[in-house]
Amino acid sequence: MAKSVKSPKMNLIRSVFGHLNAIIEVTKEVVMPSTITIHYPRERRKLPDNFRGLILFDKNACINCFRCSHICPANAIQMYIRENKYYPGIDYTKCILCHFCVDSCPTSALKPSKIHDVVFKSLDNMVVKPEDMINEPKVLREDYITVEYDFDEDLIMRRSKVKEKLVVEIDKPVRPDFVAGAANPENCIACRFCVNSCPQNAISFKLEDQQTMVFSIDIDKCTGCLICIRKCPTETLKAFRRDKIELEGNYERR
Amino acid sequence: MFEGVIAYLVSYFSSNIVNIPLIEPIIDFLLKIPIINLIVSIILWRPAFAILIVPGLLAIVIVLLFIIWFERKITARVQWRVGPKEVSRHTGGVVQAMADMIRYLFQEIIIHRDSHAIYFIQFPILSFIPILLPILLIPAGPIYAIKSDYAIPIIVALSALIPLFIMGIGWSANNRYAYIGAIREAFMYFAYEIPFIIAVLSMVLLYGSGNPFVVVEKQTLPGFLLNPIAFIVYLIGILMATSRLPFEIPEADQEIAFGPFVEYSGIIFGLVMGIAYEKMYILSLLATILFFKGWEGPIIPILGDLNYAIWLFVKSVILMCILVLVRSIYARYRLDQALKLGWSSILAFSIFGLFLSMGWYLWQNL
Repeated sequence: MAKSVKSPKMNLIRSVFGHLNAIIEVTKEVVMPSTITIHYPRERRKLPDNFRGLILFDKNACINCFRCSHICPANAIQMYIRENKYYPGIDYTKCILCHFCVDSCPTSALKPSKIHDVVFKSLDNMVVKPEDMINEPKVLREDYITVEYDFDEDLIMRRSKVKEKLVVEIDKPVRPDFVAGAANPENCIACRFCVNSCPQNAISFKLEDQQTMVFSIDIDKCTGCLICIRKCPTETLKAFRRDKIELEGNYERR
Repeated sequence: MFEGVIAYLVSYFSSNIVNIPLIEPIIDFLLKIPIINLIVSIILWRPAFAILIVPGLLAIVIVLLFIIWFERKITARVQWRVGPKEVSRHTGGVVQAMADMIRYLFQEIIIHRDSHAIYFIQFPILSFIPILLPILLIPAGPIYAIKSDYAIPIIVALSALIPLFIMGIGWSANNRYAYIGAIREAFMYFAYEIPFIIAVLSMVLLYGSGNPFVVVEKQTLPGFLLNPIAFIVYLIGILMATSRLPFEIPEADQEIAFGPFVEYSGIIFGLVMGIAYEKMYILSLLATILFFKGWEGPIIPILGDLNYAIWLFVKSVILMCILVLVRSIYARYRLDQALKLGWSSILAFSIFGLFLSMGWYLWQNL
């Protein structure tokens, strides 16, 4: 059986209370509006320190390990050759600001910042080279008030006359310091991929007794970029923690 | 002979000028300078002052600039927005309406091929006739242009002409939205005008005269306490007559894109959008006279005659502010709902108010 829908019955008392309710509510908003607008160029919202903004780069800390470009889900990071080494540059037309690269960087050479309002003059300018990422971009700031949202119970906005620093100095994350070492030296076929790939020239080969090839890893030079491990076709090399290392660094291969 | 004519005119006009002690030294000085004394005496001549300064043209301009800004700002406050702010930040964007007007002035006026070009341009300008003529009959204490026993009926009759111009605008625009808007305006016109006129007539009956001076004199209690039913009907009538939001049916910008005004651009668009606000100003002035003791209020001696005009102006502007706030309280009615409301409950209410007035009149005169 179909159910017929009837219009609600006219109830004078209810409608009068409804009108009064609406009028009181609007009057309350007129006197004390709960506006939560931030007047952006003049005010800025206080952002958390781990905000995913523009990515800055510290050239001295970089160990050329390619991890940032390998992990990038948008394929936005390209490595550029500078002074015979590879450094990352970000293509902001592709970048989704997920900061996987920042998280994956073992020496935190890529740093997050709170800069989120950047203008590029053209699409070509959005492909940022490593040397352009070292200094923070020029930011024209009109803000003199920082607004902080407080979500505890009802939303409260706290305004303070502080100019927020956009580049945050964060502590270096505690990450294990790896070095490359030979786990299975008997596997080595002396292909020298590791020698050619090492950016620090830490691996060397020597011929001994006309028969035996000895390769050695200079642990002091090794930065732990572990490119050699990725290159090695026979799984000779393996990553070891630097503080637990017991190997002397010379390995033999007949 | 020429100088004699000017001297006669100056003496004629300055015999009846507005008395304001605050600027009296300046006026006395200006009246001694040859040509300027004629201009000053004409402007300060009471009928001309009523039409040009307050409650006339200058007051209309101030009201227009203020009320549009106020409406946008107060609606924004209720809706958790900020409203106009960028033009003159420190004052909260007060001059936004002025800035819009300047922008309209520089915009091209487009007259499309299908329109009846002559009427299309003429009607927005002609619609100022029924808006400005009631000013002649609205007195502000001693500042008045025409004193008449039939002033209030004439004001109502003139203000009832405005929808005809809006319908003419809709017809001359020759656009489907303008056509729908004009038809809706016609429907609404019949729905509100009868209860509105009955509400005014019941107040006229209550005071026993259509003369504003008598009306203000007879209000020992303010009129909205004497006949609250007529007052409520009058308020709803203003909302319907000026197509404010609960009854913004002819203009309904979400449905028919400003209805009759859809084809306008440039300063003509500014003029047609101003019509509703100007009509609201006229009807608020009338409401102040009928229900809020008109120009009576505490007197500041230094302002002289201007006192009464300022009280009338301030009261009607406060009433307008309340009417404008209704936009953020209610949603828009459908056309059939508004017609049902106008033809049934509001009409019944207004007749009930008429009987209430009759009772008052009989109780006072028997």
